[in-house]
Order: sequence, then C-alpha cells, then structure tokens
Amino acid sequence: MQAFATLLSQTTDLLPPGKVRLRDSTQDSARALETFLAGVERKAFRIAQIGLRNEADALDAVQDAMLQLAHRYATRPPEEWKPLFYRILENRIRDMQRRRIVRQRVMAWMPFQGEDEDEAADPIAQAPDNAPQPAAQVESDEMMRALEQAVAELPGQQRQAFLLRNFEGLDVAETAVAMKCSPGSVKTHYFRAVRALRAKLGEFHS
Amino acid sequence: MNAEEINEGSSEFEQRTRQLLIESVEHLPAAVRSRLTQARYAALASRPLWPRALSLRWAPAGAAAVLALLLLVVPRGENPTPSPPVGASPEDLAMLTDSDALQLGGEQDLDADFYEWAAGEAALPSTPSVGT
Repeated sequence: MQAFATLLSQTTDLLPPGKVRLRDSTQDSARALETFLAGVERKAFRIAQIGLRNEADALDAVQDAMLQLAHRYATRPPEEWKPLFYRILENRIRDMQRRRIVRQRVMAWMPFQGEDEDEAADPIAQAPDNAPQPAAQVESDEMMRALEQAVAELPGQQRQAFLLRNFEGLDVAETAVAMKCSPGSVKTHYFRAVRALRAKLGEFHS
Repeated sequence: MNAEEINEGSSEFEQRTRQLLIESVEHLPAAVRSRLTQARYAALASRPLWPRALSLRWAPAGAAAVLALLLLVVPRGENPTPSPPVGASPEDLAMLTDSDALQLGGEQDLDADFYEWAAGEAALPSTPSVGT
C-alpha cells in the first residue's frame, strides 16, 4: 500500500502542475460538498419536518435545498455553505407553508371536499404500534412529540432561530446569515423562543 | 424574572431539548435515510463540472480559438480551382492535360539536344528543309 502511495505521488509529480491542481481541486470540492450534505441532511430533514409537519414535504424541501446549493453555490467557500443551505431550506419551507394555506382556503370554498388520495393518511402507518416499549422510550417519545408541537407553534423566526442555534448549533453570526437579519435580531428571536417553550413545557423541563 | 434568571434556567432546558432533537435524528426510519441519500447524490450530480470563475476566465480564449478555427475551415469565397489563362487555346489545354506530356517533366526523358535544335529551327523561319 505504501509502495502504491509512493508511486502515485511520483506519477503526480510528472504531470503538469496546472492539471494536477485542477483535477485535485475538482475532486476535493465534490468530496467536500458530499461530506457537508451528508452531515446536515438529517438535521435539515427534522427542521423541515417540524416546520411542515409532513414527512414527504420535508423530504422534498431538503432535496430542493440540496439541489440549489450544489447548482448555485458549490463554488463558494465551504464555510459559507451551512448558512446558505439553511437559508434556502427556510425559503422552501415558507413557500410550502404559504402554498398549503392557499390550498386550504380554496378547499374551504369548494362545495364538495373529497379526500385527496395523495393526502390521505396511510391506515397501516397510522395504526398504533402494539409492541411493548420500555417506559423510558415511551416517555421520551411523548416529550419529543410535545417539544415538536411546541416548536411548530412558534412564530416562524423564533422557530428558525431556536432550531438553528439550539439544534443545528450555528453561532449567532451564521444564524443571522441564514435568517437574513442582524445578530441582535437573532438573539431576540432566540430568547423569545426559549421563553415561550419554557412556558409551554414547564413540566417537561422539570 | 429578569433576563439573567431566564438564561441561567434555560441552559439546562436548552441542553435537554437539544438532546431530544438529536436523539430523534438518530432514530430516523430507514426509508427516510435512503431518500436523503438519493437526494444527496442527485444534488452532487447536478453540480456544475466547471467552476463558474474558471469558465469566465477561459471564455475569451475559447472564443478566440473557435473563431480562428472557423476562419481556417470556412472557404473565403474564392474559387479554389485555377482559372485557365486568358487567350489559351483549346490545343494548349489539351496539351496540358495530355498524360504523355507530363513525362517531359522527368529528367530522364529530357533530350536537351533536341530542344536546342528545335529552338534554332524556330529562329530561322524561311530555312528550307533538307531534301527540298
């Protein structure tokens, strides 16, 4: 293996420097982007799921955000990707929320409201799981549901600030870029979000 | 309750909520994980092959190369076949296209004495031929 590495480095030395740099930089860029997307995709999905309350919509939102980031911003420095990605994702979530509100208004005026086959819940998926679960797991699931409900009911910017700061771990400056607002606004939204959540989930905290 | 009290109290609260959210990520269904992986590959495939800055840098050179190639390849409107000289008779053309005449170009067939004699004959227009 070591001999192979030595041979590879010697071969690389023989190539013109410009070609080596171009090929390496392209491969490095692709690898860096893949690593980044693999690192954020699950948290991004949960953030979208909490915002949209729908798994399929959340997957669509994350996929759109990934595509836009790769297509438009792949050449940006990697340290800029995370705030950009979450800004794209939040825009997509808001678009979907607006579209859903419009659809609900239109459906409210329709004389006949049949169930949309695509929107109909899968009865198998909705069936309760009768398998015995440890008490701790049940309690954790209940707390998660309560937390998810409470976060989803927050105003949009508070929800975004809380999830990006607390869950994704962005700092104030990165969150400000993602939310397109000032760092001071981020702090305010985050403070209000935590206060509201504590008020709703007091027993959860204790 | 002032801001400091809230911040101190919310520290534990924030840790607990963060822990719950991270646990929920770790228990995502396999179908969701698979869809996310597919989405990632699709995004990577849609990535532009060449960085935009690089494209912009080499665009003028590429355009110049294409233009030069076009100038070389596209005919310039001139007739590539040479036109016959003005005043040339059909006999001259026939001689030029005669395959036997081409052999004169070879040095092995060149008879210098004959051409000197023929030139001398041409210079004396009224010289009677031998035997007349």
